[in-house]
Amino acid sequence: MLSVIRGGRVVDPTAGRDAVGDLWIEDGRVVAPPGREPDRVVDAAGCVVMAGGVEVHSHIAGGNVVTSRLLLPDLYVSEAAPEGHPFAHAGGAAAWIGATYARMGYTTAVEPAMPPTHALATQLELADIPLLDRGALTVMGNDDHLLQLLRERQGAAAVRDLVALNVATSRGLGVKCINAGGASAFKDGALKLSLDEEIPCYGLTTRAIMGALLDAVEEIGVPHPLHVHCNNLGLPGADDSFAATLDAAEGRRIHFAHAQFYAYGADEGGGFRSAAERIARCIADNPNATLDIGQVVFGQTVTVSLDILRQFAGRKGAKPKKWAINAGDAEGGGVVPFLYRPRGPTSSLQWAIGLEIMLLSTDPERTILTTDHPNGGPFTQYPRIIHLLMDREERAREIATLPAVVGERSGLPGIEREYTLSEIAQLTRSGPARLLGLTDRGHLRPGARADVAVYRDDPDRTAMFTAAKLVLKDGTPIVEDGEVVEWRAGRTLSLAVEADTGMARRTDAYLTDRFGAGLDSFAVPDAAFEGPAFEAVACRA
Amino acid sequence: MPAWVKGDATDADTAIAAAAALLAAARAPVIAGLSAEVAAIRAAYDLAGRIGASVDTAGAAGTYAELGALSRAGALTTTPAETVGRADAVLVVGETPWRDPLLKRLAGTKPVRGRAAAADRTLLALGGAASGAALACPADQGLPQALALLRAHVRGHLAGASAVADLAARLAAGRYVALLYDPAELGAPGVEMLQGLAIDLNDATRAFALALSGPGQDRAVVPVSAWTTGQAPRVGFGRRVPEHDPWRFDAARQAESGEADAALWLASVPVAAPGWLARVPSVALLGEPAADAAQVVIQVGRPGRDLGGVLWHEARAALTYRPASGPADLPSAASVLARLGERLAASRSVPAC
Ligand SMILES: [Zn+2]
Repeated sequence: MLSVIRGGRVVDPTAGRDAVGDLWIEDGRVVAPPGREPDRVVDAAGCVVMAGGVEVHSHIAGGNVVTSRLLLPDLYVSEAAPEGHPFAHAGGAAAWIGATYARMGYTTAVEPAMPPTHALATQLELADIPLLDRGALTVMGNDDHLLQLLRERQGAAAVRDLVALNVATSRGLGVKCINAGGASAFKDGALKLSLDEEIPCYGLTTRAIMGALLDAVEEIGVPHPLHVHCNNLGLPGADDSFAATLDAAEGRRIHFAHAQFYAYGADEGGGFRSAAERIARCIADNPNATLDIGQVVFGQTVTVSLDILRQFAGRKGAKPKKWAINAGDAEGGGVVPFLYRPRGPTSSLQWAIGLEIMLLSTDPERTILTTDHPNGGPFTQYPRIIHLLMDREERAREIATLPAVVGERSGLPGIEREYTLSEIAQLTRSGPARLLGLTDRGHLRPGARADVAVYRDDPDRTAMFTAAKLVLKDGTPIVEDGEVVEWRAGRTLSLAVEADTGMARRTDAYLTDRFGAGLDSFAVPDAAFEGPAFEAVACRA
Repeated sequence: MPAWVKGDATDADTAIAAAAALLAAARAPVIAGLSAEVAAIRAAYDLAGRIGASVDTAGAAGTYAELGALSRAGALTTTPAETVGRADAVLVVGETPWRDPLLKRLAGTKPVRGRAAAADRTLLALGGAASGAALACPADQGLPQALALLRAHVRGHLAGASAVADLAARLAAGRYVALLYDPAELGAPGVEMLQGLAIDLNDATRAFALALSGPGQDRAVVPVSAWTTGQAPRVGFGRRVPEHDPWRFDAARQAESGEADAALWLASVPVAAPGWLARVPSVALLGEPAADAAQVVIQVGRPGRDLGGVLWHEARAALTYRPASGPADLPSAASVLARLGERLAASRSVPAC
């Protein structure tokens, strides 16, 4: 079927396109104007047409997310189910996540923290998120098997093979390291860890582990650069950790997760001040580096992280006063409820710093919008954040309600910049798609997957981006006037990577000894899923 | 497909029609057991959501001792493999864990990872029959009280020479301590006290709770329920919103009080059926069939034997896929639940709010 979305303002920064025009779609793909009459016409007059949104870092599945629901049963509100899906309005549930993203015009979302030990559970949960294409990053950097290889200096090829085996077995889309060595150090009594501190029992450092993973990712040809969660998240002086980690990458491709939580310069008077300028300059000067924000929004949330060293240290700030840490295999996991106090001095400064990083960015395509859901706040706040980026007066109104510390310790109030729609598309579409190496999405050039969001152009950007007028997934309407109209299933994107059979044998023996169950028990077979769930993504040539 | 209606062998279609009729006539059906592979657990929630049933599990006593303590106070936990690999001190709380195969493994090995590697492992006992324990403390006043006393010693609130004081000192001297227990035996107040003990110990060392899994597949149900409904297993859909209520949706209570007027018991992984099942019109989907287990009994494939399926793996502490071990001509529980759902959708309108 040939369709045309007619007369909308088509915004595609990858094609330098921002003008009223038509978008042609056939067989689930964007096509050039074919010179034929369309079978279907969508009137998009007064609307903005963008590629579907792409999420690179949102905790939407896995053991921590499950625990957060059990620890805080009342965090989300459930409403009566709509027609067609019994759980779509169950607050915080997989179906709710898919529906809520889709209503905002997002069509792809990546869970950034899949431990190989729990790959099957995470993948089953992801597969139950409807409407979106999904993916997950395989977490490495604390497991004894990898640390043993490194301690014994078994060489880069062995590390590459072990990483490839873990990605292949867990069916990940990329690789993430989370405070590399930190969880292991925590189990051996450590309370903090920096880049060059020795990790007990292994004689290794974060620098050594991360460096080995950076190389392995390049050797394998993973399209997504190593996704790095640095040491010392959230502490005054964390900007030093960020800068040192960037230096340690030595020009290799690297993605920094939730940079806002590292943009805290130690203040002489105690506490922290914005290091947004420093972080923005780091990224501007290093074309192989990218970041996502981890923007803070005010209100109750829950922090979920495999950085159990950090979560243990943060337990005393839990609000309400309960938390769950699992010092399990490899990273384990940690869940600590948190309240970003409305108009509180600390939370206000955190809020300002995230916006400041985005507004100081010289390259929005390498500056990805996230709230590190739910760590900085829920992803449902993206429309409001976009509003603040696009509207200086709206920003000033909000700043006026906040304590003076925002102006004293951040540069936000002095920033005049207003994001354009093209820049928003870079922040939420083309940037994240390029970062994940997904060439078929994030843009509207011919050949693109027809994942398209149509929004009513509205100066109230919050309203505009909360409920899209129309969302297409692979050319099929899934949302109309902000409501889901078809409950179709997307696919989970996983990297097509070959595992070395020698490493598979060695790993099987290692795992059998440790778990009494071998590599088979870590598998994510198609047979575990109802119908086809996966789609292969090729490695870099 | 072996099936029985009122004890008489019959064919699949007749049994499914009888099961659908039984559920369609109910005002407040319960779907219970859920001792099954993930595909069947998902199908059970889907059916419950569509017909307005409530859900309960075979191992709910232990599961809710855990979940109650978690939602009130949080948790500090580890896994069996980490305990075997790292723990130099294991406190066995109560009687049940001594009968668990993990105990034998712990007794016969030393830690191999982390700062306690190669050290001897000490087994300690609180309130259990402890032939292998280096030190055993009784719990004459009950386990929660014994844990409270132990905790008071660990915190320094109580002192003086006693077996409990020795135990507290042993725990504080451990470098990686595991607190092993059966939540059904310990109960929610005991689990909460044990978690408090773990939290206190972590001020100076590392200590984590390790709960044994109970009967059935509750450890698989909990995550599936959480991602499907946003809530823990005991959820009711009578008002089309998933409502979590551990008391209201206790299937035994509902059956005994007469609130529930039909039940579907799901046990493709065999587990003892509860007595209350005989008190309500019932359907049973069983991996190990018994013709008189319910009014309508349908034999379904047993995961990991007759068909492939995702199950809780105790040693891995994870969901894992178990392929079929041989061919079997039995339907999956998920497919039977889906057929029931289709029949009920045709015969029953959505319940009123
Ligand atoms: Zn994160």
